[in-house]
Amino acid sequence: MSKIQGCIIAKLHAGLLHTTSSVCSAVLLVGLLLLSAPIQAALQLRLDQPDLNDQQRQITLQLLNNAFDSLPPLMIKQLDRQVSVSWSDNLPSAVMGRATPGGKIKLNRRWLPALVTGHSEGLAPDRQHGTLQNELKATLLHELGHLYDQGRFWPAAERQLLQRCRSSQKTQGKIGLPRQCRGQTERRFTLSDAPRLLDLAGWPEQVGQRGQRETINRQLDRSVDIYEFYSPQEFVAVNLEYFLLDPEYGCRRPALKTFFHQHFGWEPSHTTDCASALPYMNASLDANQPALGWLDPARIYQVHYLLAEPDQTWASRWGHSMLRLVICAPGRPLSPDCMLDLEHHLVLSYRAFVDDVQLSSWDGLTGVYPSRLFILPLNQVLDEYTKAEMRSLSSVPLNMTREEQIGLAIQAASQHWSYDGNYYFVSNNCAVETLKLLRSGSDHHQLRDLDSYTPTGLLQILEARGLANYAPLINRDEALRQGYYFASYRNRYEQMFAVVRANLNVPQKSIDDWLALSADQRQAWLPQANQRAAAALLLLEQAALRQYIHVIQHDLKKRYLADDGTNDGLSEAGRLMQELITDSSFLSRPADLLSDGYGIPQAAERDLLESSARQRHGSLLTTADQLDNRLRAMLSVKQQQELDGTQHNIELLSGHLRQLHREAGGLVLP
Amino acid sequence: MLRFSLFVAAGVLSIASSAYASSLIATSDSIGASLVNTVDASSDATSSIGDDKVVLDARDDAASFVGSEGSIRGAHLEAALTHIRQTLPNLEATDMQLAEAILAR
Repeated sequence: MSKIQGCIIAKLHAGLLHTTSSVCSAVLLVGLLLLSAPIQAALQLRLDQPDLNDQQRQITLQLLNNAFDSLPPLMIKQLDRQVSVSWSDNLPSAVMGRATPGGKIKLNRRWLPALVTGHSEGLAPDRQHGTLQNELKATLLHELGHLYDQGRFWPAAERQLLQRCRSSQKTQGKIGLPRQCRGQTERRFTLSDAPRLLDLAGWPEQVGQRGQRETINRQLDRSVDIYEFYSPQEFVAVNLEYFLLDPEYGCRRPALKTFFHQHFGWEPSHTTDCASALPYMNASLDANQPALGWLDPARIYQVHYLLAEPDQTWASRWGHSMLRLVICAPGRPLSPDCMLDLEHHLVLSYRAFVDDVQLSSWDGLTGVYPSRLFILPLNQVLDEYTKAEMRSLSSVPLNMTREEQIGLAIQAASQHWSYDGNYYFVSNNCAVETLKLLRSGSDHHQLRDLDSYTPTGLLQILEARGLANYAPLINRDEALRQGYYFASYRNRYEQMFAVVRANLNVPQKSIDDWLALSADQRQAWLPQANQRAAAALLLLEQAALRQYIHVIQHDLKKRYLADDGTNDGLSEAGRLMQELITDSSFLSRPADLLSDGYGIPQAAERDLLESSARQRHGSLLTTADQLDNRLRAMLSVKQQQELDGTQHNIELLSGHLRQLHREAGGLVLP
Repeated sequence: MLRFSLFVAAGVLSIASSAYASSLIATSDSIGASLVNTVDASSDATSSIGDDKVVLDARDDAASFVGSEGSIRGAHLEAALTHIRQTLPNLEATDMQLAEAILAR
């Protein structure tokens, strides 16, 4: 590739196509100079402006050269035309440059003097390319990106596929269309209407609409340039700028970088090595865990479809679908042993972020609640479902290649930092969101034409297509033991009550009767328990505590909703609760923590991110403690006694169990 | 301390919503944690394999295993047993003995 330094060499190029009378021609070309094949077709940039002085011409040529050198070889080869570039006085002042319908590029002349003197003053502060030279270069690449996108430069295999798809649409119609043809029959652009690009860019398929795309992009957070959401065409042009110019593009938007890299069969030489771990906000609000977590895709052993079984409440009668990342403990090789590293496993769960103390079913149906990707420790999800909601969870391994697993983790991180969707219980519920994440993350060919509205329905289709492997769940005992199935605690509590009844001859006939006793009444039975009965009682006291808290919640909620604002304590508690809920928003929308940068945060943002997350997390926990104290102060004497009594029973049982163990000469863990 | 407000906040939300649109606020392992804290406060404060998180996380499963004479065997217990045996390869103990030891921590 040649580097044009001045008029002499420029004339060589100019001479190829334009005959000019002077040595320093008004028409100068920047293009490929292939010594072995000088006639080969390729892109040439033509500076088409007679009224420049030498210095202006020189500096403009440098700019064109510079932009040209950043282009992928395939783009130069395919875009085999002269593209005229000139400075124009007629562009709006905010516009840096634009391409005309005729394919010429105009740059805003107001920047020419500053380019010559090398000053960047007056550049809008939201510009991310740094210097004026870089902004103008990016503008050229952006406009060339449009020309390339409009040129339908599909690689041979893709071109054949599009032809096949068009003819099968003609003969079979939309319904009988082969899977790989979804979204391919009416392609008009090289890149910007490719299904894969639209998936990654944030214009996913609407469920049940045979490939029709959403019209609104919801991956708005941490945008590189808000203009990218104007249309898929602008998205491609803007992202090409950064793919070509920003060494960190591949770390901030890894999947898109891979998309461009594969298309061009080339990447810029200046790409940065990315950190292996991806940052995420741990949404568990646990004082013992840092708010900012790091997910290392290299440690993922498997990805599972995690299904919470349906129950009878209207919002969960279809179940809830999530994805589980089976992450190996640090230092453990990827192996089946990782299945038991439960404390390291993460769950990707799309949930409505509810910012009001009462969830209105109407608002859920109309999409008022933002839908966000929560990243949670598996153990917390297990507690929530199996203990608090008494629902079982099935964890079904998905047959995915290593590359697909890593792609999914990266896409999850990208979504986590950019997505703020709307939650529609029917058309954009957790199953729809989970499917979209699976599809865009893994790019698995079996997922391309898959539609499902419901969590159980999605699992059935995944299984029918050989993507989900239900085999480890068939033997229930083994599945429980190995962590493929997590049973609701309901049965467990009932079994424990049966043990208590048999061992202690308590007169109560059902667990409900037993839990209806007061803490004091239950306490009377504790000292007589043998080891087995004491273990069973310990679990039942936990159940009692949960149930009693539930009763208190109901009571407080009733008092809160019935209050006319005259009870200061309740008003204050309501205010704190609202504050807690509002302030916790950043856990599911971490983009709030950083004002600069785009995509997945990188090393330079790390310190700020850590401190910002720590501070927000700390203040959230403080609010939680204040609310806690406020609510405790509002309990009746009886409620307080019952709560204390149950906790006391748990302490008694723990001590009792230790004593029995000691007396029996039981094993002591070293 | 039992983090009471989290339950309330989660409860107020989840009473209405349940998990299809489950609340953000965690009903995280507060009971388990309070249990562990209670035990920690009154047991010998020397470092032990019993303090490892994987063992502490297995307390509910250990109680269920002991209470059901081995018929309920959850993954958290399995993880703890594997961890203990890998860390102490010379320890000779049955699953029940280990479960009892976890429970008596």
